[in-house]
Amino acid sequence: MSTAGFDELIHAPTRLEIVSLLAAAEWADFKYIRDELGLSDSALSKQLSTLESAGYVEIHRRFVGKRPRTSASLSTAGRRAFEQHVAALQQILARSRQDAGAASATEAGRGVVRR
Amino acid sequence: MADRQQPQPASTGTTSADAAVELAEIERRQQEVIKAALVPVWFWWVMGAAIVAIGAARDSHDRVVMATAIPLAVLVMAVLIIATIPGVRRRVKVHSAVMPSAQAAIAIPGLILLVDGVTIACSMSLTEHHVSHPLTLGSAAGAAALVIAGPLLNRYFGRLMLTNARQHIADAPDGGAPWRGLFGTDPGGRPAGHATSASERGTR
Repeated sequence: MSTAGFDELIHAPTRLEIVSLLAAAEWADFKYIRDELGLSDSALSKQLSTLESAGYVEIHRRFVGKRPRTSASLSTAGRRAFEQHVAALQQILARSRQDAGAASATEAGRGVVRR
Repeated sequence: MADRQQPQPASTGTTSADAAVELAEIERRQQEVIKAALVPVWFWWVMGAAIVAIGAARDSHDRVVMATAIPLAVLVMAVLIIATIPGVRRRVKVHSAVMPSAQAAIAIPGLILLVDGVTIACSMSLTEHHVSHPLTLGSAAGAAALVIAGPLLNRYFGRLMLTNARQHIADAPDGGAPWRGLFGTDPGGRPAGHATSASERGTR
């Protein structure tokens, strides 16, 4: 079970997209992430660096033939933070549904009293 | 990093609508990764054409045609299969927890058995009834089975992988009920697929 923990770092739209992609993957090519999210090289590098500094993402640089190939993967800490963030979002939704249910029950009760 | 203090969700100012949009975005991105792992529709058509080519080459009874067409068709099939194995020459590798390995171990041999069974049964039946070009027609029946069953299998794997992805990341204390709810409508009443993307929520 994941403990809910809202993560402001992951909450940022572009970083959420990056982490969401990486959460379903063992690794993803830099170019794949860039193309999927429609980001520039520099914008993606900046976001990946932020996530790497936080210990959420691991960057792998290797050579395929003579071509450098960069890929990224979610670290254990990043995966845990993502799971906790998802759990926190679910809690917000669940709480809102409970509140809505309680409100409608109260409203229904008032209706009975008025009659 | 793992021992960080966990802030309470209530203090973030994130509304339930924001949370629903964010969860929809997470799922959309995960679907993209899953889609990258599935074989494209043309794969089944090319494989079907290769099967028909083998049948037609056998029916020609021409040694030169058989010696060139059959190895060529087998080569095309082999290259396609190797190229579509997840992780081989791919730009993204789907997480092992998301892959439907157990189901694939049953479904893929099942599909091969189906195609071979249809091809052999039709070819033998047509040969018995002295129909001309029995192997071509038999392999065309097998190819038709592949072209129909292949994309269905693809869709089945896609659904399984999405379920696995949800279970993998949404192992929530409440059993992931709100997460499952995303596939109906979000709290704003919009279909989940039409939720505003995360990139539209704010500046990057």
